Amino acid sequence: MTDEARAGDARLADRIRSGETQALGELYDRYGGTALATALRVVGSREEAEDVVHDAFVTLWRKIDRFDAQRGSLRAWLMTVVRNRGIDRIRARRSTVDIEAADERSLLRTGPNPTWDAVVTRTSVNELREALATLPEEQRRSVELAYFEGYTYREVATLTGVPPGTANGRMRLALAKLRDALSASSVSPNAAREGAFTEEATS
Amino acid sequence: MTASQALDCATVDELAPAYGLGAVEPGEEQAVSLHLTTCPEPHAEARELIDAATLVSSTLEPVAPSAALRDRLMATIAATPQDRVVAPQRAYVPAPEPRRRWWSMGALPSAVTAVALAAAIGLGAWGVSANAELAERDAVLQTVASADVAYRVSGPAGDGWVLQSGEEAMFMADDLQTLPAGRHYALWLIHADGTTVRTGAVTDTDGVSVAPLEDVLSGAVTFVVTVEEHVVETPSSEPVLTAQLGA
Repeated sequence: MTDEARAGDARLADRIRSGETQALGELYDRYGGTALATALRVVGSREEAEDVVHDAFVTLWRKIDRFDAQRGSLRAWLMTVVRNRGIDRIRARRSTVDIEAADERSLLRTGPNPTWDAVVTRTSVNELREALATLPEEQRRSVELAYFEGYTYREVATLTGVPPGTANGRMRLALAKLRDALSASSVSPNAAREGAFTEEATS
Repeated sequence: MTASQALDCATVDELAPAYGLGAVEPGEEQAVSLHLTTCPEPHAEARELIDAATLVSSTLEPVAPSAALRDRLMATIAATPQDRVVAPQRAYVPAPEPRRRWWSMGALPSAVTAVALAAAIGLGAWGVSANAELAERDAVLQTVASADVAYRVSGPAGDGWVLQSGEEAMFMADDLQTLPAGRHYALWLIHADGTTVRTGAVTDTDGVSVAPLEDVLSGAVTFVVTVEEHVVETPSSEPVLTAQLGA
């Protein structure tokens, strides 16, 4: 995402807030591909993944009045809702969890600080992928179990046969590497690649 | 753990990666969110890791949705109303002319649900700024969650709420203006026939102020707050906060 795209997100949020359905359509065109990829990675079924994406965008439409651009990005919120709803579908024990409450909690999450935000906007998707791909297996697996499969860090610990502190530590190292990849990208001559976060569907 | 359990800074820092990945229990998630919202410490490392977690989805190759999905989505939202948050109402509502005693005037702004109140607090409208107040804020959230109905109170002194749960009610406000020594906020219920009943007082304005109402809301049409120097039977000054009840 470029700075321009980020500003565009803020404008889209304002238009959606004013009830402009076309603005939501534009948001969908911008992020639908990544939203579907995330949902598909979580639920595994294309049909179900499309339902998740549909529900996530409807949630965003309904709750846009509660979104505060000062607290985080529209994209991050959308992906969190997609992820939450995907996890809700795959985890039987979460069938008793109030997904609406989970959506509410997603709005409580703190947003990027300005410096970090500037770094993020200059980072390419490929660099992120490379950073994740080159993680040690146990770190990458911890992230995947948590983010895409919906396990808590305690459950990740049980699944991987380590103490909870170790599971959390692996997540910390993995995220730190992602963060460092972003930081390195921000000082790279090629850092400000335009359209780095353009999320047009490629398949 | 429960949401009412406050976390210390070290625990929040420790949980940050799992929190960012959505891998903590709901109670922990809420507690971490509240801590990061209210703690005066920067928690820079924790915030960076949380932000990094938001990019995990970007490591996936986008997948083209079907055209039918877009059509279905657009049809759905065309028929789906948007939730609206009741915005704080700072504007003071003056007494109408011809002038009459303000406390006999009619209803003021509308009521909101407890859900809307919780939403407003969740979005930071309830600006508790000190870590020491986290437990107090948790208690506030618990109270809000259990309220049957909430009425927005607003005026030049700030914003607050009247919460009703069963027959009991309480007044809550955040960061009310500090008063000169010897003065307090007096709480009043005004009934349709003009009867005005003093129903409580607030003297501590540091952080979130909470005061139970001494009378039931039933029959009252307006709630007001005035600044008083003495305990009086009827208000002696203009209202600094008002709310319509039962709307």
